[in-house]
Amino acid sequence: MTSVSLRLLVLGSAIGAAIVVGGCATVQPWQRGRLADRCMIFDADSSQVAYMAHWQEAREGAAGGYGVQSGGCGCK
Amino acid sequence: MRLTRAVTALVVLSASLAASSPQKRAPDVTLQTADGQPMRLADFKGKVVLVDFWASWCVPCKTSFPALDSLYREYHARGVDVLAVNLDERRRDADAFLAERPHALTVLFDPKGASAQAFGVEGMPSSFLIDRDGVIRFTHMGYSGNIDASYRQQLTQLISEDQQR
Repeated sequence: MTSVSLRLLVLGSAIGAAIVVGGCATVQPWQRGRLADRCMIFDADSSQVAYMAHWQEAREGAAGGYGVQSGGCGCK
Repeated sequence: MRLTRAVTALVVLSASLAASSPQKRAPDVTLQTADGQPMRLADFKGKVVLVDFWASWCVPCKTSFPALDSLYREYHARGVDVLAVNLDERRRDADAFLAERPHALTVLFDPKGASAQAFGVEGMPSSFLIDRDGVIRFTHMGYSGNIDASYRQQLTQLISEDQQR
């Protein structure tokens, strides 16, 4: 790789990273309406997910570590 | 030496002042009524006020809203006002929620959430009990049925404090 193309790659990555980081924002509890929407749930069947989680926990001897979808109350 | 003493005294004084006033004055926020009229929280000074922040998408709010409405019906005659501040971005979401739940409490709207920011809301729902002097005395975050007993005890306390004056 020539030094010019290397520089372009670094510059391109920096610009790309700046754009991506610029999209980060702190979502306040009262702004979580869209996140709390049903369509944001990854799993269609909660009882099946609970069953899967149960056998995974039993097999691996560890629990938790999954993403959480909720209304922002911090209680679910 | 004198300067050191003066500085130490100042530090001790300011620390003791901070410790003696942990209660926060409620911010004077302006909210919208159902027909778009502005309403200031300061207009309620002289009354015990329960301010609750809720939204139609918040799951525990579905339980807390009717519970607060029954608190309002129970305590309004004793000088308590319950303000349910809706934080939905879209008014029609709030209206659909309210249409399903008959209520007597005062519903106010703040689609931009400026009042929630001013109160420092950290979760939904959040409620603040404000005494007649406009000081936030109790706060609650989230909702479960067993908070009702605390609400009753705290409201009774705030009402009785005011009667003693």
